[in-house]
Amino acid sequence: MDRRARQFGRVALPLLVLAVVAILPALPFVNNYILAAIVRALIFISLGQAWNIVAGIGGLLSLGHGVFLGLGGYVTGLLFNLLGWPPWLGVWVGVLVSLAVALVMGGMTLRMRGIFFALATVAVSLAFDQLARHYVDLTGGDNGLALKFMGDSLWAMQSRSPAPFVYAGLVFVVVYYGITRWILASQLGLEMRAVRDDETAAAASGVAVFRTKMLGFLVSAAMTALAGGLYMQFYQAIDPESAFGLGQAIQLQLPALIGGLGTAAGPILGGALMIVLSEITNWGAAKLGFVGVDLLVYGLVLLLVVLWAPKGIVGALRRRR
Amino acid sequence: MGAYLDAALIPVGQALLSGVLVGGVYGLMSIGFSLAFGVMRIVNFAHGDLVMYGMYVGVIASTAFGVDPLYAIPLSFLLMALLGAAQYQLVFKRFVGAATLQQLLAAIGLGLVLQMIAQVVFGADARSAPSMFGGQFVLLGPLFASAAQIVAFIVAVLCTIAVEALLLGTRWGKSVRAVADDIEAAELVGLSAQTINITAFALACGLAGIAGTIMVTYYPVDPSKGLSLMPIAIIATTIGGLGSIRGSFFGGLFCGVVQQLTAMLWNSALQDVPLYVLLLVFIAYKPTGMFGFRTE
Repeated sequence: MDRRARQFGRVALPLLVLAVVAILPALPFVNNYILAAIVRALIFISLGQAWNIVAGIGGLLSLGHGVFLGLGGYVTGLLFNLLGWPPWLGVWVGVLVSLAVALVMGGMTLRMRGIFFALATVAVSLAFDQLARHYVDLTGGDNGLALKFMGDSLWAMQSRSPAPFVYAGLVFVVVYYGITRWILASQLGLEMRAVRDDETAAAASGVAVFRTKMLGFLVSAAMTALAGGLYMQFYQAIDPESAFGLGQAIQLQLPALIGGLGTAAGPILGGALMIVLSEITNWGAAKLGFVGVDLLVYGLVLLLVVLWAPKGIVGALRRRR
Repeated sequence: MGAYLDAALIPVGQALLSGVLVGGVYGLMSIGFSLAFGVMRIVNFAHGDLVMYGMYVGVIASTAFGVDPLYAIPLSFLLMALLGAAQYQLVFKRFVGAATLQQLLAAIGLGLVLQMIAQVVFGADARSAPSMFGGQFVLLGPLFASAAQIVAFIVAVLCTIAVEALLLGTRWGKSVRAVADDIEAAELVGLSAQTINITAFALACGLAGIAGTIMVTYYPVDPSKGLSLMPIAIIATTIGGLGSIRGSFFGGLFCGVVQQLTAMLWNSALQDVPLYVLLLVFIAYKPTGMFGFRTE
């Protein structure tokens, strides 16, 4: 019985949730407001899944994943606005640019202790922030870059209704979940966790430490840039703060941290919980007339999770078994 | 010919002078950050927020009590040291000895909470608190400097010397260095690592308070200032050598000069970009910095 219950939890429950979310857009009482919140959650989750690869499995604290989100978004948007390239194509250029930036960043910092990597990622995102604000002609400066509006167009990956993005978001979350499971089960995942837990011991056992860290970082950067393309298409705009700001960098970490670092289900559970929490606080803050209260909530959650629940929701569930 | 040369050199000299003066306060801000790392391996991302609170101490002294912010320096030191000790007890105690992912995240969370508290208490507007030297300029040959910045620079230098003297010349400083080198050996010879760590952390945070209070005499504060000052502290400390006091101070001077030269030669909106590039270069090729001794 216990075993069957567990199997239900492992297989049937996720499929059930997936089916419910997939049917939602067709239901009459589900309005665009709810659908948009679900899309936000799905994008948030997929970004968290990408960050989880490098930080959760690899143990490298990247505070600069906003760079890849931003490059994915800006490159997709710029290619569309300036050259008319559809996002189906443009986002891959964004992925390539992100990979190049990650290669340079990683090449310069990943041979050092983890702390230097974390510090460098802060610097790189702030550098991109200043550049994006300064080169107004290209990026729109502080106001950000808005996509040329095309109405409903599959070619331009635009839609007035959020419903198509629910399906796009679901594809991202399911594929990223699969990638995470695959990495966890693969040789690469084993080596990444070995490096995370003890770099010296991993090196002594024959793991190519630098190469392992770099591979994890590149995979994670590419996944973030791809999700950045989806972000751009859904929000139709991106600005320096929401791409390269430290607030965004911290948001990207919350799904995995709250759900459980290094687990495949963690970012999904954490991201879903965070969106609910942020909807409630935004509603409450609007009533009370506070601004920027979501950062306070993020900070508090970050602090409390790290201090009292370092293994997140998944860790808490596992302990109960 | 000489006149042309002068015309070219004066802006450079001016940038160097302004850079060194601004950089002195960056240095003071960075030595606290460096001290916490050097002794406890704590990377305190909330350090900048203590600088920001130090700035508000100056603002409150000046606007609410009509006291010159310079006289509020001792109070600022004391308050931030207490706040630092509380932070150490509540958050950082469990992370001493290794700059782990969890420790960095905890510090970031703490910084955000401190920033938001400031926003609720002081509001989001930029505030400033000129000292008795506000608005005065000193002419040095063809160059000029703001009197407030000269005073701030002098305070920063004096504090840096005092900290170096404290660490190198006193019994307490000796214990701090012992704990930093090998915490277990230090406890074996009868030192209480807890007491030493908490005092060292309080000192680091108190220095942030001083740096903030002298900075607010010429630079306005808002709740996000703490976060925006952090990169400078990180870069100054990395260039000077993580854990080295005088290295961080010179790193601060260097950052100030690079900013001012960039602003003069290129663009003041992009004055930090070369610093970010330099940080990457130092991490890649000289991670111990110019004055760092510790390697791991």
